[in-house]
Amino acid sequence: MTRLSLEHVSFWYPATDTPALADVSLEVAGGEVVALVGAVGAGASTLLLVAADLAPRVVGGRLEGAVDFRGRGNGEGGRGIVLPTPWTQVSGMAFTVWDEVAFGPANLGWPREQITRHVDRALARLDIAALRAREPATLSGGELQRVIIAGILAMDPALVLFDEPTAELDPAGARMLWRLVRSLAAEGKAVIVATSDLDALPDVADRVVWLEQGRAKKIGPPALLAEDALCAAGLGTAVAVVWRAGGLPRPYPLTVDDAVRLWRHR
Amino acid sequence: MTRLHPFTLLALAAALVALAWLLPAPWGAAGTLAVAAVLALFSGAGLTPGASPGSTGTGMSPGWRPGLVVLRTAVVTAAPFWLFLFILHDVSTTVALGLRITTMVASVVWLVAVLAPARLVEAMVAAGWRAGTAYLFAATLSAVPVLKARAQRIVEAQRCRGLSPRGGLGPRVRALRALALPLILSALHEVDERALALESRGLVPGARRTPLAPPPDRGAERAVRWALVALCVAALVWRLA
Amino acid sequence: MTDALRLERVSFAYGDVTALAEVSFALGPGERAALLGRNGAGKSTLVRLVTGLRRPAAGSIWVEDWDTRDRPPEQLARRVGSMFQYADQQLFARTVRDDVSFGPRALGFAAPEVQQRVGRALAALGLEAHAAHHPYDLPPAFRKLAALAGALALEPRLLVLDEPTAGLDRALRARVASALLERAAAGAALLVVTHDLAFAAETLERALVLDRGRLACDEPLAGLLAAPPRLEPLGLAPPAVAALSRALGLPGAPVREADAARALARVAAGRRAPLD
Repeated sequence: MTRLSLEHVSFWYPATDTPALADVSLEVAGGEVVALVGAVGAGASTLLLVAADLAPRVVGGRLEGAVDFRGRGNGEGGRGIVLPTPWTQVSGMAFTVWDEVAFGPANLGWPREQITRHVDRALARLDIAALRAREPATLSGGELQRVIIAGILAMDPALVLFDEPTAELDPAGARMLWRLVRSLAAEGKAVIVATSDLDALPDVADRVVWLEQGRAKKIGPPALLAEDALCAAGLGTAVAVVWRAGGLPRPYPLTVDDAVRLWRHR
Repeated sequence: MTRLHPFTLLALAAALVALAWLLPAPWGAAGTLAVAAVLALFSGAGLTPGASPGSTGTGMSPGWRPGLVVLRTAVVTAAPFWLFLFILHDVSTTVALGLRITTMVASVVWLVAVLAPARLVEAMVAAGWRAGTAYLFAATLSAVPVLKARAQRIVEAQRCRGLSPRGGLGPRVRALRALALPLILSALHEVDERALALESRGLVPGARRTPLAPPPDRGAERAVRWALVALCVAALVWRLA
Repeated sequence: MTDALRLERVSFAYGDVTALAEVSFALGPGERAALLGRNGAGKSTLVRLVTGLRRPAAGSIWVEDWDTRDRPPEQLARRVGSMFQYADQQLFARTVRDDVSFGPRALGFAAPEVQQRVGRALAALGLEAHAAHHPYDLPPAFRKLAALAGALALEPRLLVLDEPTAGLDRALRARVASALLERAAAGAALLVVTHDLAFAAETLERALVLDRGRLACDEPLAGLLAAPPRLEPLGLAPPAVAALSRALGLPGAPVREADAARALARVAAGRRAPLD
């Protein structure tokens, strides 16, 4: 069973005195979607890099505490991360989208038929099978983001880490992505996603981690996003924020459906 | 030509450079330069795909134009060498060295134009190289188009903020200066991001990559490569003897 | 009064792939338009055309009385401030302040004027604390703001922005919104490509929707957002506030948070009155 556990983890980037992560403890199991929310710079991206074993191994810097991951290294059965800047994540070594998606699996040294199977499946899941013969350099931002996500999923990681995965996607693309995140969890993968798309989380996340200045201030169900403190910190769902701004009493509704229910029972 | 095995293309370029220096000047280098020029002219379409998004494809039309572009790049790159040689040396040395240097430049420019880094990686992996090493090798080769795309983005951003890349010498020099430093700095910065990105795509030290579509290596091509090696050795022996 | 931007039957293609087909619209000074549509609908292409980096294959684009076909981007920069996709790759100076001052300096303003413009742009986006930082030392979200500040510092008559809020948190989005509203109040026309309909609802007033290169829709944004059945085929989805107003039947179908909160408070008070 996949499991990632962070125990009292702190992390400092090279040549900095203030920790980007401070004493964070978190457990994520297979089948679970955990969302990281917080202001820009609160530590969500750093937490993902630590979870991916890229910080400090590749990034440098200093780590304290224990990071334990039950699984393999990178890729198959291991960890896969989708960075927030997909345009830096292209291999630059592929003529076609298909080859680009196959870049990771090929690096894992899989037999060719296994690569083909996983690449085709990932293309279908990201709804980009039609782009398979396109040259990656000609893609739009949203298309490229899908290609990179497909490239990570094709490596079949057990823990998938997403940093702002919907930033370049249109609303239909974002909906597809969130459905995909749920289906990854349903397959038993563990998913951690850092996102500012708070309104999507009630349907997507099992748990929400509120990060502030590198600390995990609160961990709980998505209902957190309707709490007064999170709304005040700019981390409430739009519905909760409107409710609060309208001066209506607590508890604030989390979603439109919750609001309708509350409204009827007044 | 782009369909030749990457090793054949590498061997051709290397042999041209070697022969340019081995054969007696000026006719040896004139010969190699002529061969390099013909290769450049016939390099045809299929320039390396830009490794960066945002650019909109190469859109090169087949036929002569790409060949002429390659040739022009080689001439423009080699021109300053001639100037310096002319200042420093007499005419016969200038011609001898100039032809050799121009052969080198033309061969490399041609190689960059016809050898797709992705194909080189595939060929090297199929030949048993480690993925990381092959990637490093190919990345060096693809540095030119990558930097070109990046430079274009920076120039575009600067133009949209009022900097003119045209006009007289003054504005041009200013524009070049405004470009050079950010280009280098951003490229260096990107090295960090690339390291993260490649790790995340499974390119870790010691990775044994599966060749996806290794370029076919025909017997004839292998023979040509050995012939080129033999030719260079023969030239060396002849010149030493 | 001259339009800040006018497109007349503009078409463009990459090779044989049509990106834009006969797009026409005009923006008046101070008008705030959202350019919406699916990935690949032609939005980014339109931005590049308006900035002069590309020329329309057919039709013409006017920035006030300038035909963009006659003007290179560096001249258009006197009237058009722009920010593209991958904004963080458009930074090229060693500090955020230097980068932001690049435009005003290139346009030849005197040092004090440059200083003032840079100061205003940094303040508008709350970037003062990062002014001395190297752009690449900042998180991507702040790099994006720095690129936007570079466009604001031109204090142009027209701002053309491609996804200015992608990856930004609520607080930063609010900064962008207020900076843009400030520019619009000063008479600048806004053309903003965005997938972020919540941001659009807060900041912009007019919806231009591209669908496969054609202008499928040109109307008030609030009205469009309040009509979910019309959004779906255009690849759009109503933002939560619009959905809330609709579900609760709030009067006036507000799409901005503050308006919705006010309407909600009013209705709640009205409802409560008979019971209290």
